[in-house]
Amino acid sequence: MGRQFSKLLLVGAACVVTGCASTAKGISQSSVMKSAKAEQLKKKATAGTVLAVVRYPAFVDSNAKDAYYKAFGRNAIGGRASSYDAGSPEVQALADSVVLKSNYFALSLFKELAAKLPEHSVLLSPHTIKLADDGSLTSEPMTQAESLANVVTVDFTSYTFPDSKKMMGGEPLTFGDLVTPLVTVRTDHRAAAPTQGLLMASAPLLSRAAGNGRASVDESLRNLQNGKLDSATPELDFVTYLNNDPAFNVASKPLSRLPSANTVRKVPLEKIKLDTVAIDSLGDAQAGAVDPLKTAFSKGMANQIVGMINKTNINKASMMRRASAISQFDQSLAALTLVGGKDADYQSRFKYAERLLEAEQKYLSVQSLRLFDGIHNGEMGAQVRDMLKAEYDVLEQRRDLARKQNTATALAILGAVAAGATIANESDSRDGVSYGESLAIDALISATIFAGSKAFSYKSQSKSVGSNYLTSIVPALEEQTSVQVNLIDSNETITAIRFEDLKEKLQSLYTENQRSLETVATRCGYTHTGSTKTGTWLGVCENGLAAGNGIGVLRNGDGTAIEYFGYAKNGQPQGPGYMIHHKRNNSYALEGHFTAGQADGVMRVTKSGIPDTLQMYSAGQRSGSVPAGAINASPFRTPPANKISAARSQTLASAQ
Amino acid sequence: MKKKLLISGFLSLIASPAIAQSSASSGPEPVQQVAVAAPSQEYCITVMSGFPNDALLPRYQFFKLTQEMAVDATPGFRRALEKYGDGDVEADAPITDVIEAIANPVLRQAAPELAISYMDHLIDFAQTCEPYVAGQVSSLKAFDANLANDDTVIAEDALFLRQVLSDSLFRLDANKDLIHGADVTVYANALVRTRDRIEFTSYSADVDELEAIYMTDLDGRLARSNDLINSEMNRETLGDAVTLSDDMNKQAKQKADREAVQTLLRILSRY
Repeated sequence: MGRQFSKLLLVGAACVVTGCASTAKGISQSSVMKSAKAEQLKKKATAGTVLAVVRYPAFVDSNAKDAYYKAFGRNAIGGRASSYDAGSPEVQALADSVVLKSNYFALSLFKELAAKLPEHSVLLSPHTIKLADDGSLTSEPMTQAESLANVVTVDFTSYTFPDSKKMMGGEPLTFGDLVTPLVTVRTDHRAAAPTQGLLMASAPLLSRAAGNGRASVDESLRNLQNGKLDSATPELDFVTYLNNDPAFNVASKPLSRLPSANTVRKVPLEKIKLDTVAIDSLGDAQAGAVDPLKTAFSKGMANQIVGMINKTNINKASMMRRASAISQFDQSLAALTLVGGKDADYQSRFKYAERLLEAEQKYLSVQSLRLFDGIHNGEMGAQVRDMLKAEYDVLEQRRDLARKQNTATALAILGAVAAGATIANESDSRDGVSYGESLAIDALISATIFAGSKAFSYKSQSKSVGSNYLTSIVPALEEQTSVQVNLIDSNETITAIRFEDLKEKLQSLYTENQRSLETVATRCGYTHTGSTKTGTWLGVCENGLAAGNGIGVLRNGDGTAIEYFGYAKNGQPQGPGYMIHHKRNNSYALEGHFTAGQADGVMRVTKSGIPDTLQMYSAGQRSGSVPAGAINASPFRTPPANKISAARSQTLASAQ
Repeated sequence: MKKKLLISGFLSLIASPAIAQSSASSGPEPVQQVAVAAPSQEYCITVMSGFPNDALLPRYQFFKLTQEMAVDATPGFRRALEKYGDGDVEADAPITDVIEAIANPVLRQAAPELAISYMDHLIDFAQTCEPYVAGQVSSLKAFDANLANDDTVIAEDALFLRQVLSDSLFRLDANKDLIHGADVTVYANALVRTRDRIEFTSYSADVDELEAIYMTDLDGRLARSNDLINSEMNRETLGDAVTLSDDMNKQAKQKADREAVQTLLRILSRY
């Protein structure tokens, strides 16, 4: 009896260890599909402004590979890696497939956005992951898509958990019919100051993406302080995450709840199971027309992005990058475009500049369309689809083995329970056990052991199937990645050569056709009440101080800063203006009338987590409630002068 | 770059002997009799018969130019023209001769009053016969939409003639006239805006042209490059990888089957 009992314990333990295998399930639709309504674009961007740029990791520089593999393993998303060897081919295959699949699936989002937005208004921006000077990872755009003004950028990565042993579990995976998209959507911080420009982010990336936004804000302010109208191009948020760069807290709200103003929408980490029919048809001749990600994710994400563009102030979002682009061929005009003006000479010159930028935008959009065509519709796309199909077959094999494993485990458990009950029954009867009964119990235990060992075997086979595939696929992954990079590099080289030529010709045309500006933008001093430092003003100057429209930046020693767009006098804000107070936490913005550098009158206040409100200010302090019907002044809309005065008089009178 | 149509070339194109003869043979009514009345069909048709009719392009250019020259000529401004012009233009003067006279540098320097009268004559015709002129322009454009490609050049030519008129008025100090000065100044300012608009249209057309050339060229180059790179892709790598993986899986399965049999044998051996 003792021998039988110990056998039973062994079988029971085996069953527990083998456990039930997961069949790598996923949800059929992303939450971005469920919470998005099919919205039409309601905003119109100025000529030369791109509405959306889709950014994704397209290539890992050879010098950065080791660092990338290590960071990929160290910073697993959605679980804890049981073991990780950055040098193993399986892990490298998973890490490389993140880049390869991001390349491919980003095109699905591009296609959906391009279908919803006007022609030439969506661009692709593939990034190279590189080593920065300090040895950390960074990413840089491979094309010039981000050199133009844009309203939003969308970072897309299709993620896979860095542990091949957990491919069949609940951990995130992009393999076969499973996709785990990681997304962030951001605009320029001038249009979303409290969230550092961040509008939406996948939950695991959110705080790092906000940190990345904060770093871009700092870099942009540094540039402005040095007199350069350069808006920083942030690295991919996925890279920021891998780097474990500093996080930044911003107000956020889950996607499942109603959106709030000045709050980042948080997308849950999801493992999406693509439509089986679509996956099955990936091997067909017309497979290029099949987009399995569309109905599960891309279409809804495109709707979400259009919704965000509709809610974004397009001028604030694009003004700095547009000024930066204009500064490359017209320094005198560039800073003036931030606020604009009514003078005929300015209007005329700005119109010419916009037309030039529009030509550049159209030219670069050809590159994006051809990148899509070259990768998606060519042999390259067919190979990726074949790979997805092969992965799907591998997954299906493993699912089948998992089901068999579960059946075997169930049998083993059933056998163990039955044997246990029989033994217990015999013990209770206190009678001797007959030979026949002993044989039956032995046979039951033997069958249980066999079922348990089969369960082990299926589990082991499942792992082998996954491991064999990942090990074998490395050369194919390298080949496909290499072709993708060749396509991007070649497209960029051809585009860049002709782009320089086009830019030169456009600039000649621009110069030939220009009339002089009566008032030009220069650089001079900008001050702010309470600050001992002097900032930089780019715009209209008089006697070395800000005097007219432009932008002023003042960075304090404690990391805070003031960024001001609008009108100034004697080096201080005076007239309609938009002021962003950059704080360590809770940056906020005021838009209204300023007197001698202080908020004065009805101000539109933009703060984290709450909708914009109108508040009355006097000498920089809140001074009471705002009368009904009052509006704030704005440097970006220029109503006739008498209307501004009337509105201001009314609000001031009410305040008194 | 679009070839600009110069006034002199334009005039030589339209002032063919056949047209001149046609104009001479027609007998238009005196302008004064129709200028203030509703459009006189007879007058308009007679004058229009002097327009080129041997080809669509010159005919379109002529009508369009006539239309453009009457732009911004308000009633107040017309009264200024009547005052400062020399009213001796013959009502039956062929339009070609009138345009030639305005464009003649010697004449407009020596006798600005005459240039004003000639322009007044043209504007009068364009405004009196506006429905006919507009109808001709529309129908010609409907027949061949490409005719509109020259609109910018025609507008530039009209602007030149209108500038001659404005300069002539300023030379006669019409801008200082207490009664007509404001109208003359408004017209001069309108010319500046028109010039801005035309220059921008011209600039935009040049940019369009550059855009079209570069975008088409880029599209072709990228398509060829994509095809080349895609065609060089090693199609066997993926197949080899999948085959290798399948083979390894088969071996793993065989090994697992063997082990299962061995396990079973070990279990059964006890009985």
